[in-house]
Amino acid sequence: MTSQTIIDPPEDGHFRNGQASNGSAPSPTTLSIHLTINGRDHALDIEPRVTLLDALRERLHLTGTKKGCDHGQCGACTVHVDGERVLACLTLAAQVEGRSITTIEGLADEDGTLHAVQAAFLEQDAFQCGYCTPGQIMSAVACIREGHAGSDEEIREYMAGNLCRCGAYPHIVAAVRQAAEGLRS
Amino acid sequence: MRDFSYLRVDSVEAARNAAALPGAMLLAGGTTLIDLAKCGVAEPATVIDISYIEGLNAIDVTADRAVIGALAKMSHVADNAEVKSHFPAVSEALWQAASAQLRNMATIGGNLMQRTRCPYFRDPQNFPACNKREPGSGCSAIGGVTRGHAVLGTSEACIATYPGDLAIALVAFDAEVDLGERKLKVEDFFLAPGATAEREHDIRPGEVITAIEIPGSAAARRSTYLKVRDRQSYEFAAASAAVGLELEGDGRTIRDIRVAVGGVATKPWRAREVEDALKGKPLDEATVRKASELAMESAVDHGANHYKIALAPRVIARAILQLGETA
Amino acid sequence: MTAHDMKHAGSDSARLEAVGGRLSRVDGPAKITGAARYAFEQQLEGLTHAVLVGTTIAAGKVTGIDTRAAETAPGVLAVLTPDTIMELNSASDWFGRQPSEETYCPLVREVTFSGQHIAAVVAETLEQAVAAAALVKVGYDETPAIVDLSDGSDGIPVDAMTKEWGDAEAAFAEAPVRVCASYNTPREFQAAMEPHGLIARWEGDELTIWEPSQWLDGMARTYAEWFGVPFENVRLVSPYIGGGFGSKALALAHSAVAAAAAKMLGRPVKLVLNRPQNFTSYGGRAATRQTVAIGADKAGRIQSIVHRGVNETAVDGMWVEPLGSVTSIMYATPNFSSKQNVVRVNTVVPGAKRAPGENPSAFGIECAIDELAYELGIDPLEMRLINYAEQDPHAKKAWSTRQLREAFAAGAEAFGWARRSREPRSMRDGHQLIGWGVAAGTYPVRRAYGEAVVKLLADGSVEVESSSIDMGQGTYTILAQTAAETLGVPVEKVSVRLGDSHFARAGVTGGSRLAGVMTGAVYKAAGQALDELIGLALSDPRSPFHGLQANTLQVKGGRIAAPRGDGPEFSIAELMSTLGREKIEAKGDTVPASFTPEQRYNNYTTIAMALPHTEGEHSRHSWCAHFVEVRVDEDFGTVRVSRVVSALDSGRLYNPKLAESQWKGGIVMGIGQALLEEGIVDRRHGRIVNGNLADYMLPTNADIPDIQTISVGIPDPHSSALGGKGVGELGIVGVAPAIANAVFHATGKRVRDLPITLEKLI
Repeated sequence: MTSQTIIDPPEDGHFRNGQASNGSAPSPTTLSIHLTINGRDHALDIEPRVTLLDALRERLHLTGTKKGCDHGQCGACTVHVDGERVLACLTLAAQVEGRSITTIEGLADEDGTLHAVQAAFLEQDAFQCGYCTPGQIMSAVACIREGHAGSDEEIREYMAGNLCRCGAYPHIVAAVRQAAEGLRS
Repeated sequence: MRDFSYLRVDSVEAARNAAALPGAMLLAGGTTLIDLAKCGVAEPATVIDISYIEGLNAIDVTADRAVIGALAKMSHVADNAEVKSHFPAVSEALWQAASAQLRNMATIGGNLMQRTRCPYFRDPQNFPACNKREPGSGCSAIGGVTRGHAVLGTSEACIATYPGDLAIALVAFDAEVDLGERKLKVEDFFLAPGATAEREHDIRPGEVITAIEIPGSAAARRSTYLKVRDRQSYEFAAASAAVGLELEGDGRTIRDIRVAVGGVATKPWRAREVEDALKGKPLDEATVRKASELAMESAVDHGANHYKIALAPRVIARAILQLGETA
Repeated sequence: MTAHDMKHAGSDSARLEAVGGRLSRVDGPAKITGAARYAFEQQLEGLTHAVLVGTTIAAGKVTGIDTRAAETAPGVLAVLTPDTIMELNSASDWFGRQPSEETYCPLVREVTFSGQHIAAVVAETLEQAVAAAALVKVGYDETPAIVDLSDGSDGIPVDAMTKEWGDAEAAFAEAPVRVCASYNTPREFQAAMEPHGLIARWEGDELTIWEPSQWLDGMARTYAEWFGVPFENVRLVSPYIGGGFGSKALALAHSAVAAAAAKMLGRPVKLVLNRPQNFTSYGGRAATRQTVAIGADKAGRIQSIVHRGVNETAVDGMWVEPLGSVTSIMYATPNFSSKQNVVRVNTVVPGAKRAPGENPSAFGIECAIDELAYELGIDPLEMRLINYAEQDPHAKKAWSTRQLREAFAAGAEAFGWARRSREPRSMRDGHQLIGWGVAAGTYPVRRAYGEAVVKLLADGSVEVESSSIDMGQGTYTILAQTAAETLGVPVEKVSVRLGDSHFARAGVTGGSRLAGVMTGAVYKAAGQALDELIGLALSDPRSPFHGLQANTLQVKGGRIAAPRGDGPEFSIAELMSTLGREKIEAKGDTVPASFTPEQRYNNYTTIAMALPHTEGEHSRHSWCAHFVEVRVDEDFGTVRVSRVVSALDSGRLYNPKLAESQWKGGIVMGIGQALLEEGIVDRRHGRIVNGNLADYMLPTNADIPDIQTISVGIPDPHSSALGGKGVGELGIVGVAPAIANAVFHATGKRVRDLPITLEKLI
């Protein structure tokens, strides 16, 4: 059987590329991984099945990223991986080692200056309970960057993956529109 | 979720080898696999992460042919200017699927492996009977809540709807799936349940999707994907249609037409009856509506999904007529 | 923990900061940066994770639970079953009534609905607990279940719901114009984005619970009774709540499991329901069925309304969704009869969801009056004005305030109602049939007694404390505004601390009562603190104001001076320093002085002490009128709401910016109710098959048009200390009938069963 390049389960506590010699599956074990989150390196020992969402919330205490459904049905866990919005609940933590992860905690400047989207959400009152809000904001930042905030109709469609039960949608559209206009000028 | 091993591979060859391991499942975007693992439907012993394989995400499009790497993200294909220009139905099927976040994760190859949304399939704890999960165990959906279930291509073993959008456009335009050693028509890659509901794809152990290829055509250039659903967005289709149209020089006689329907069948469903009835005919509303009805000739409902038999032809007809209005 | 940094609070304009100003949310910066730590996001040393196992049958007995595989799974600390979980005392209900049983087991042997908690696995990590829970094997002896309303008999009469005057049946029979139809609403769910869950930690006999809660004191009482510890030993912490909509006011079975597990293990336990469990661990809005018969004369004047309603309840619990509540007050009628039954089915006990009672009640009467309008050929808006109730037709009392006529006028004007063409199917745009519909809504003013603590600190800052909560309505913000205005300090000097049961007590946050109760309490407490400050300033020999012969002093912008400004002026901090005071603390309440300690306790921990909305001379309600445009695809039957204009009377608004958000939120939820939301039961299994956020469909952003809200309220002194009426529930009431009426106008089809899905129109 041809050899395959794999990432071995660690025996020495380090997660690395390696060559599997016999093609047999390794048994489940704990992985030691490093995640780059908001520009900082975080070391983690986790089982392979741990999602990025649970790694953030339960291990790294970055609870800004919310769990609403855990199945990709609500958008509350939206984060950026290499600059693109994705759902942390359907992403394995191990899968994003080596990629750059941004969460809501990393959006404002170090000095606390809000991102234009955050400021617009506050001004437009684009949230009530606040639970879906980090996901909405991460989604909105990406929506604008993707060029999908050209009209209210486009904003509605491209923000449809973030449910808000408080029903802040009209204000979310206003906030995204305002931030998009601000970022364009 | 059961624990599993995680292997990251960096070549297609390594992926094929790893895919042959017992209990191995490939992980690309994760939007199906991780979801179903949480449901207790997928129980991989080893998850083979293929998302780092280089060179599999290319999107290469000309008027003659689109070749899309298996790891290209749905969002990137949807937004690709050449795809929009030469294969608008493909772009439209993609951007109307799922949500922006899921489209940034899900890959084209993974999309073809998407599983049904049948609530009985997705809930083994409460509904042990499911021929897709456990051959011979029965079908919990038949006799149950069937509003979203299929009316075409069903069997006594399974009535689960194929939920995707992209593949509807792919079968309309005779796309092929590249499995390395073999290439298959996408239409043949998907299997209707028959007596073997557990077999959804013609894919063998150790095979890995590397690309899809879509031949260019005048019909593909003048094409659209129309999706009808309860919610305006972020929902699977109640009924959808991928349609391509080529008219004769007179601007009203149909030279070539492609029709496939989604949301109503157990697999991506090419409606050749409709195509045959319309080729050479004038593009007018009455003709189109009448021909569109033919798509449902073999339809069988299970109660609450009866409306799909009325709805799908209307979706087909609207899509064709809308295309006719665009020059 | 719950003090908010005010630097992003928006404007420095005093008008914005005062009560009635459009101040941005003071808790906003914490929420938009991810800094806001919700209840079960607290990080505790030694935290363990619990996962529940639910029944897979709807009725029957558990014959055995095989926990062996789960117990030996990696990381598992305990598997709890009815046999192994510690025994709890039964707790009193939310009226404070003592339970009939002595003991309580939150894990069941007798199954009364599918998804009922039967076992729980506690493990070191969440992943381990989830995996082990899947290994628990349960044996059942299944018996037939009553699945839904259509299964049962006519049910059990609820005599307390009967409202009658005149001779309604005879008057209906004699009326020259009659309509009679049935209206059905399905099981609907609150579906807050934050799931139910909690962290429980015991330290000796003291229990701390971090749990999203609409009622800290009520839930603390339940925990205290379950575990037989003094009320004071239980601390509920709930700094932010990720949406409640009625679902988070009670300590539930899963809460008891987590607290018991924590006690048994001696370690803190976190238990968060997964999304499907959220659909079965607390009941949604009960499915309802109503028949509304209206008889009128040829001029459209209603002669009689006969109303019969049924709602589902549980086999082992009672929920009454008051279906005659709007029916009995919206229109003037000389003859009226409303009766209601409940039918027991195998479901979790239904619960409160935004505007319980009024919401489905309005769906019946507001559709029926539309049908009557078409029967008579009268414009539906005109129909409502013809039958305008000048006083409460049921209580026979004057309205405290009722700006409903103004709402109809303002809404119609902004919507352009006068341009409506009367006939169904008479307006279209290509394949889209356009329909315009109107409906009214109302919600009673629920009042209660409240208390609050206001502290003036040495640095001139102010703290407000209350165990009430903010689940997005804006409590943090409006209480800051109230304190700032009352004390005369800039709002950024005020920090509001909520969501801790060790703060001044508060009753339930529900029925749109909190803003009225709490602004009144803070107003009173802040006034007391101010009086004390001024009193000291005038009387204390160390004070620069001492001996000025002034009767009083004035505080403005945080500075204190004589009212005419002709004397010295100091900041509060300077004055406090001169007086040598660390703080001035005032606990203000609106509780009658005659109340005993037990009455006070019951005031905050039960709903038995709430004041009737028809107490005294007046009948108190908020009111609204919704104008809706729908577009229905003539081929597909899909309905999209393309325009909403709503005019609402919530009395005085404490913060219009936040009130508008709540109104719009209610309207959005109403759009979901009208078009999308339905808990679908598999009749063979008595189980909801769409208990998740993909299949139980909430509206997305793409389903919601721009919504215009118009405030037509005036201060209502009979409803609250500062003149406000309810906001949060009102917005949803009347939305579904307005949409159903618009769909009829668009299509000529009267859909009387919610939701209005496409198959009902093709």
